[in-house]
Amino acid sequence: MNSNIKPNLTDQVLLEKVVEAANTGIVITDNLLPDNPIIYCNPAFERLSGYSREEIIGHNCRFLQNQDRKQESRKTVREAIARGESCMVEFRNYNKSGELFYNELYLSAVKDDKGCVTNFIGIQNDITDRRKAEQALQLYYNETDRKVVERTRMLKENEEYLSSIVETIRESLLVMDKDYHILSANSHFLNTFKVSISETKGKMLYELGNGQWDIPELRKMMLEILPTNNPVLDYEVEHEFPHIGKKLMLLNAHRIELEGQFKDRILLAIEDITERKAIEQRKDDFLSIASHELKTPLTTVLGYVQMMQRLMPETVSDKFRSVVDKTGVYVDRLNQLLAELLDVSRIQTGNLELHMESFDFDKMVIDTIDGLKAATPGYNIILKGKVEAVFNGDEMHLVQVLTNLISNAIKYSPESHEVEVYVSKVSNFVKVSVKDKGMGIKEGELKKIFERFYRVGEIQKRYPGMGIGLYICDQIVKNHGGTLWAESKIGEGSVFSFTLPIKDYTGEASNG
Amino acid sequence: MICDDDNGILEMMEMIIEEFGFDVFTEANSVNVLKRLESEKPDLLLLDIWMPVLSGDQVLKTIKAEPKFSSLPVIMYSASAEGHIIAEKSGASDYIAKPFDMNDLEAKIIALL
Repeated sequence: MNSNIKPNLTDQVLLEKVVEAANTGIVITDNLLPDNPIIYCNPAFERLSGYSREEIIGHNCRFLQNQDRKQESRKTVREAIARGESCMVEFRNYNKSGELFYNELYLSAVKDDKGCVTNFIGIQNDITDRRKAEQALQLYYNETDRKVVERTRMLKENEEYLSSIVETIRESLLVMDKDYHILSANSHFLNTFKVSISETKGKMLYELGNGQWDIPELRKMMLEILPTNNPVLDYEVEHEFPHIGKKLMLLNAHRIELEGQFKDRILLAIEDITERKAIEQRKDDFLSIASHELKTPLTTVLGYVQMMQRLMPETVSDKFRSVVDKTGVYVDRLNQLLAELLDVSRIQTGNLELHMESFDFDKMVIDTIDGLKAATPGYNIILKGKVEAVFNGDEMHLVQVLTNLISNAIKYSPESHEVEVYVSKVSNFVKVSVKDKGMGIKEGELKKIFERFYRVGEIQKRYPGMGIGLYICDQIVKNHGGTLWAESKIGEGSVFSFTLPIKDYTGEASNG
Repeated sequence: MICDDDNGILEMMEMIIEEFGFDVFTEANSVNVLKRLESEKPDLLLLDIWMPVLSGDQVLKTIKAEPKFSSLPVIMYSASAEGHIIAEKSGASDYIAKPFDMNDLEAKIIALL
């Protein structure tokens, strides 16, 4: 015994004090009395159960279970008591106010000298908090489990969703590793190129279908993907496939990487544009044939108009003369439109041929302006500056560009009566600017005006036209290696400028 | 002589060239050109380039191959931008684009006669 313990206290009393002071509920039952009643409980048990000592003594321990009798632990306890053995169980007990608490019971049998069980000592612990934590944990586990199942299902659905897109898409898709071995190919690829998945998967791209994909341009393109990390966009490749014939393909390739899973994979998307190009070609052919066919009757009409003008007697009325002249003007106009349409179709088919010859650039500008001055008497076309250089280019087409820009400047500035043309030599370029004080062009429209058949929204209603003039100008300037651009402010006017490199006869840009 | 597969053009050109003060005859079928040259013996041929069966440049080739006509002045014409290149390659004396300017046409004809 501890030396602090006062000597007048017997061991018996001391033990009683310990039990009284314990923070754990302790009960003692008398196994020799009927129904094994509680004969002792400590204050901790009173606190635990909410009942006072008076209410506890004499009861069998089962009173704590209220109506909740179907508990597995009861059987364990019954058997332990019957055998006179100790046991440890958990009960769902209810305190005086009816609240559930989890009670951990350690039951220990007390035997007399003959080995007969006289008493049971029950050590009781409220483990409600622990159980609640456990239950919360279990709930959490269950919830997590459910979520995992749900997520897995969603992932699977997503995967199915994505794979259904990949399989349905009207574009051939291939995924390759860094050595161009095919990891997967979608149905469209297999159908288009008439191959099976087994002869595709795992094979190297260039070995597919007896090497039909061993295309030099494709090899070159693929080499650029992994090291640079730049996607290859809209790369046009034409190739004759042994069984399916000539195909025009648009290739897009990206490097794909999924953190922690894989890197250096290549996604190759192959769009078969053979059909589309053929349709475009037919449209261009149609444009070309239609405008060409239209020229024949136009030639006849123009011939007769010229005959009328020539045959017209001096005595004819001014009105009649004016009618004939106007007919001529509009036939010319129609001819001009047809010429533009033909130009468009020629540009589309890449047949815009430039006939490069040396000419005096300043003279070309002056002549063009003089011609326009005669056609638009009310307007003042002011020419400033000069190039003072012999220029090597297609004079006819450059006249067309300048005429178009000045005509536009006049057409779209009805309030103003002045157009300025600046000509200069900048470094080894000729620069021409046409400035008007017209209505101006919105910023969003500035780039689009050079597109084929594009017409600025409001303009469409007030000013007739096909929207091909600037497109042709742009193409002609580009074909000379030059640049055409526009600057504009709404309500203040626009400046259209182009630069053309001054080239020597070998076609190289000179540095002079 | 004028050779063009389009009768409208032929009729119009015939009238114009008569107006210039020349005698004219026309041929709508390019296959017959050589035969007509033989019978009519024209001083100048106006030849369309785009014609079915035998195109203008093919006709000109057969003319050039015939010593009797190899030096006959031929003015080719067409509505296409490539026309003057074809004319040049085929060895035509001159070229004029459709639709014609009457004065240009007259000047070109006179220059060759």
